Amino acid sequence: MTDQITIGLARMHYEFGERRDFLPNFVAMLGKLNAKVVLEYGYGSGMKFTEEDYLNHDQKITFVSHEEVYKQDYVLVLRCPSEDDLRLLKPGACIISMMHYPTRPNRVALLRSLEVESISLDSIKDDVGRRLVENLRMVAWNGLEVGFRVLLRTYPSPGVESPQRNPIQVTVLGVGAVGMHAVQAASHYGDMSLWNSMAKRGVPGIQVTALEYDLTRNEDYMKEILTKTDILVDSTQRPNASQAVIPNEWIAYMPEHAVLVDLSVDPYDCSVENREVKGIEGIPQGNLDQFVFAPDDPAFERIPECVSTVHRRYSVSCYSWPGIHPKECMDLYGKQIGPLIRTLLNKGAPGKINPKGKFFERALSRALLSNYEATNLT
Amino acid sequence: MNIPKTIGLPRMRNETGEKRVFLPEFVQYIASLGVNVFIEEGYGARSGYSFEDYKLASPIIHMASKEKAYQQDVVLILRSPKPDELKLMKPGGILFSMLHFHTRPLRVKRLLDAKIKAVSMDSIVNDVNIRLMENMRSVAWNGLEAAFDVLEKRWPGLVRPDKKPIQVLILGTGMVGKYAIDAAAKLGNIERNNDHIEAGGPGAIAISVGRNLSTNPTTMESLFNQADIMVDATQRRDSSKPVVPNEWIAWLPEHAVVVDLAVDPYTLDAEPPVVRGVEGIPQGNLDQYIFAADDSNWDKTIPPSVNSKNRRTSVTCYSWPGVHPEACMLHYAQQLEPFIEILFKKGYDGLSLEGDYFDRALYRATLKYFLDEQKLLV
Repeated sequence: MTDQITIGLARMHYEFGERRDFLPNFVAMLGKLNAKVVLEYGYGSGMKFTEEDYLNHDQKITFVSHEEVYKQDYVLVLRCPSEDDLRLLKPGACIISMMHYPTRPNRVALLRSLEVESISLDSIKDDVGRRLVENLRMVAWNGLEVGFRVLLRTYPSPGVESPQRNPIQVTVLGVGAVGMHAVQAASHYGDMSLWNSMAKRGVPGIQVTALEYDLTRNEDYMKEILTKTDILVDSTQRPNASQAVIPNEWIAYMPEHAVLVDLSVDPYDCSVENREVKGIEGIPQGNLDQFVFAPDDPAFERIPECVSTVHRRYSVSCYSWPGIHPKECMDLYGKQIGPLIRTLLNKGAPGKINPKGKFFERALSRALLSNYEATNLT
Repeated sequence: MNIPKTIGLPRMRNETGEKRVFLPEFVQYIASLGVNVFIEEGYGARSGYSFEDYKLASPIIHMASKEKAYQQDVVLILRSPKPDELKLMKPGGILFSMLHFHTRPLRVKRLLDAKIKAVSMDSIVNDVNIRLMENMRSVAWNGLEAAFDVLEKRWPGLVRPDKKPIQVLILGTGMVGKYAIDAAAKLGNIERNNDHIEAGGPGAIAISVGRNLSTNPTTMESLFNQADIMVDATQRRDSSKPVVPNEWIAWLPEHAVVVDLAVDPYTLDAEPPVVRGVEGIPQGNLDQYIFAADDSNWDKTIPPSVNSKNRRTSVTCYSWPGVHPEACMLHYAQQLEPFIEILFKKGYDGLSLEGDYFDRALYRATLKYFLDEQKLLV
């Protein structure tokens, strides 16, 4: 690596609706750590930030091409770049991103072949195993916010906002890290201001029923629950994703106005060896361009044929729920990543991170590709 | 700037069931910072630790009297010392403990009168206001574990006579409420839950309601009628009124178990008075946290003016994490390590909001920060 560490911040060239980039104050913090910071042309433009907005915080920032960003010592980008982009990295460089090592063996192999180090943001954990860079709260709150927005339109007379209606019934499948936030979000309409306004007007609240996916083996019981569910949330983390938690035919038990909320964002895969199906069978996979699907949306027709889509309800699904509110999301990530980057740059190189060092060093060490490989080779 | 050089670890003089002490590994860690450690004679004895377990031949770990332990530069003790113990501290000494400044005005006054520099563990928060020293997971899990233990005696294998899932009603959707949902859906104990799943048991469902439903008697009556376990995990805005008036207890089935995770006391002479969230249940501690409806100790902690006519088996404990003392203290030690280091590096007066991550977080827990914040609120 060169004397002055260089760090490139790349844009995320995914769906059009992906607007997230790190905020100017975060980028300025990197400059203060004596790193040479380069940003890709157009950085921040999805959130209406201009080059001047970044330069006002730090005049030494430079704007370069997409390819040039990937030539730096460190490359920081929230969502993992495509394979083509990863191939732009120089040997010895370090990519910092959500790499998801355990579920992306091909990506791990590619990085190794490129002789690139990486730090997976989703693997940075403290001594008791808590992720230090995560936004599971926004996954749940944003998904439920959208779910309730749809329910406001579909709910029958007298309507969601009527003091005369019965309590809204939300069923949450899976009570892991996302599920716990989902219960909290659901009981507040996914939107604190809406909750406040409803509470002030004396509108009955929300009853949330949470169950582990194991309970769904009992069809009679599930039928009883589904017939009275207004919003069904999938926040399961299944060890075996080849079986749906809610088979498509069970959706028929639900009221016509019901909304299905997909927080697990598992994909569909019809291949025999890797068969995967969403927790709720037959709902489309959304992204930041489209995350609301009416029952007659053409997206249902694009679901692989091995998946039944006969029974449909309004569905909300998004691969990147936190991206719905990009500034809030990146503000949080900036605060979480700040002390980690500070530690990393102060050490000078990923190889100098001591697994038995101080708190943030230990946390970073757990996320290094080289350590992941070591752990998985033994 | 005064940099502390010594630390005292006095015993907690609470109920005999209170077995929590900082573990030998943690004391060794403190000594590794070059700090002289003074451990009160008998520290850890209730958990089977001798002084030799702590000392491990270290020349800077010493056995001390209670008075000497309180005379050190820093006094570390999990639960707040009693008023007469505070008087043993030297002026300018640093007390590091769970001090709950916000709800203990008399304690704050005593600390100020004694010129003690206090740091409250429960007030250590990061830049996004997340508590960095807490064990709310244990509050919820230990409380629910006790409740399911009670229920399992009535229903072996936790199978209801009608083979339907056990219904757990949870009031409150804050942090403790979130963990309570997780614990309830997993029968309060992962191992028991795994066995239950293997045996094809019916499982449990958690029904969560927030403030805007828990104030509606009609809905609550219907929910209480079906609840096998009812959990109070509320954080009330007005602690002079119960969330569950005693008459509502009569709606619960005779076999139901009431779980108290909110652990507010009865303080009727305060202004305004404080009553428990569930009216008429006793206040438990680590000596006794399970109270059958006909328990002879039921009335001992309930003022005569409080209605306790309707009763169900109740599990309640002022210090739920203390039910599993070693796991609790291991957890706290992992959280405390970086703060102990920063405290001995910078001293109380050197802490500031301009420092690094842990410096800022610890500064927010100081008595001086609390008092400054209070001034801003006036």
